[in-house]
Amino acid sequence: MLKIRNLQAGYGKLKVLKNVSMHVDKGEIVTIIGANGAGKTTLLSTISGLLRAAAGEIAFEDRNLIALAPQKIPALGCVMIPEGRQIFASLSVEENLILGGHVLKKNGKQALRQQLDEQYALFPILRERREQYAGTLSGGEQQMLAMGRALMSQPSLIMMDEPSTGLAPLIVKDIFNVIVKMRDEGKTVLLVEQNAKAALQVADRGYVLETGKVVLQGTSPDLLEDADVKRAYLGKDYGEFYDGKA
Amino acid sequence: MTEKPDQTVCVPELRTQLVLERFQSTLNRAYRNVPFYQKRLREQGLDPSDIQSLDDVVRLPFLTRQHLSANYPYDLFAVPLRDIVRIHTAPGTSSNPTVSGYTRQDLQIWTNMVATALENAGVGPEDILQISLDPGLANWGRDYKSGAETIGASVIPNTLLSIDKQLMVMRDYKPSVLVTTPSYARQVAVRLAHMERKTTAFRLKTLILVGEPADTDLRRFLEHALNVDCWQHYGLSEIPGPALAYECENHSCLHVNDEHFLPEIIDPVTGAPVPAGMDGELVLTTLTTRAFPLIRFRTGDRARIVTAPCTCDCRLVRIEWLTERTDQLVCIRGVKVHQQQIMTAVENALGFKPQDSCLFENRYDEKTYLEIWIAVEDAFFSDEIKMLEMRMQRVRDQVQEDTGVPVVVRLKERATIAAGPPSING
Repeated sequence: MLKIRNLQAGYGKLKVLKNVSMHVDKGEIVTIIGANGAGKTTLLSTISGLLRAAAGEIAFEDRNLIALAPQKIPALGCVMIPEGRQIFASLSVEENLILGGHVLKKNGKQALRQQLDEQYALFPILRERREQYAGTLSGGEQQMLAMGRALMSQPSLIMMDEPSTGLAPLIVKDIFNVIVKMRDEGKTVLLVEQNAKAALQVADRGYVLETGKVVLQGTSPDLLEDADVKRAYLGKDYGEFYDGKA
Repeated sequence: MTEKPDQTVCVPELRTQLVLERFQSTLNRAYRNVPFYQKRLREQGLDPSDIQSLDDVVRLPFLTRQHLSANYPYDLFAVPLRDIVRIHTAPGTSSNPTVSGYTRQDLQIWTNMVATALENAGVGPEDILQISLDPGLANWGRDYKSGAETIGASVIPNTLLSIDKQLMVMRDYKPSVLVTTPSYARQVAVRLAHMERKTTAFRLKTLILVGEPADTDLRRFLEHALNVDCWQHYGLSEIPGPALAYECENHSCLHVNDEHFLPEIIDPVTGAPVPAGMDGELVLTTLTTRAFPLIRFRTGDRARIVTAPCTCDCRLVRIEWLTERTDQLVCIRGVKVHQQQIMTAVENALGFKPQDSCLFENRYDEKTYLEIWIAVEDAFFSDEIKMLEMRMQRVRDQVQEDTGVPVVVRLKERATIAAGPPSING
């Protein structure tokens, strides 16, 4: 579904992504884990067209995304949920959702209504809060709103940037349960997370990004068992991380 | 996206993306963690990010057995020692052996690969699998044991028995699968023929041949004499994976596990890639190995890529393994020994370097030996037969100890050595 080869991107002279190749198959949750500054968000921004790639190829269902303007990419079925939710605080919950469904305009109000109902079914709390200003929602509710807003355009690939940021562990669990539910309903998810353990527990596969390069990939159980991943990202054995080979 | 066919390595289009991703991340890990690879790439003016397609593999320098020996013991490991759960040793090119390490995941991958190869040979939970390999291939014995246990087969672990004991095990324990070298299988078959015994007392149905290629005549002989189906597996002792390529149920060429190894065929003299279908030296790059990645390892084995697809379901790259070698290794009963290592052992035993000598594989009473001819010269000569015999004995013991293969030492005239070894005893 998504195939990336030799992607290079950065900010001005700063090269962040150095030759990243990866792919996401239909119906799977793929996670990208890595430390701060590894290039995870840059990768998502480049796929969604917010950042221009310096070189490389991004193919989404055989369409080349490299040359496309960012506003044209969601219409192809590839949406991004940015870090920190970035909902419209001064609009109501329902208005936020309707904005997310702008690509459905051409299908008429009925289609939009149906999508709204689907999101309310997935996130019942949003129905309760639909008249409320989005800015007054709790962090977890805002994340659900951001997810609902992205799902409004009926995407086939959902890219999520750090959905667990700033949320209590119990809420994180709820959010990740919804991600699994989305996959089970046929969506494909590309998940960028610093919370490597939580991400690997729900993902099918994962890539480890380090200073803009993929240094390891594998199935989630495989990565969860990898000694290097455990040390660097799962908080195990951390004190001994830098003590060399012996 | 325009798909550029990756010509050099012939990986099916279906897996090009996966293989490229694994290849690039292996290179990134090796470059980050192994000073040897970092230095080698820098010397070529390369950075891992320059490798953008499988065709670019040809830009990377080769890794040889000499490099493995020079980096003895742990300098090529790409993970800290405490992440290593197994350490294997194989004969090297010098007095240093080759040491390889495995993480827990590496072992799991090997186990699964061996299990897949065995399943392709029809091995199942109802089978009794016996492993009979020389001590030099003991690493493979462990991998076969793990792979067979994964399938659920009963395993008789690796013990190299005398031929009479082997026949007794085959008669009484009733193994249905035997994993061994073509040399040993031949010895068993010939003894059986000499004894005029029937195979009806055995339940052996599958013979898995490892360590050296068996030609068509030998396979036919073994199949007939032992009343079995033969399957060939290919492996390397440096990355102990006895089954990195295997035959499927059609017995048609070796299927390389190309999700774990990237195969290339090169011209052994120029190092340039040869077109698919042409003979050359097999070069392998590991794609999933974490502890001991090998980048463009020259195997010294002669092979060619088979371009026609197999009639079986899998679409793995197929190779034909040819009997000749492209390097200085001597293959004795599946165990590969470098000539330089043998000569170092000879020199150590004698205390000087013999002026003329030659090494070759020979058979006596159907058992395969490494035969060493040493020219009679002043430094060696003694008028006491006892002294001469003692020296020859010392050479034999030393080489046997260093290489783990059975050895015969003979003194010859220089002219006889110059004429070259005789053809193998039949």
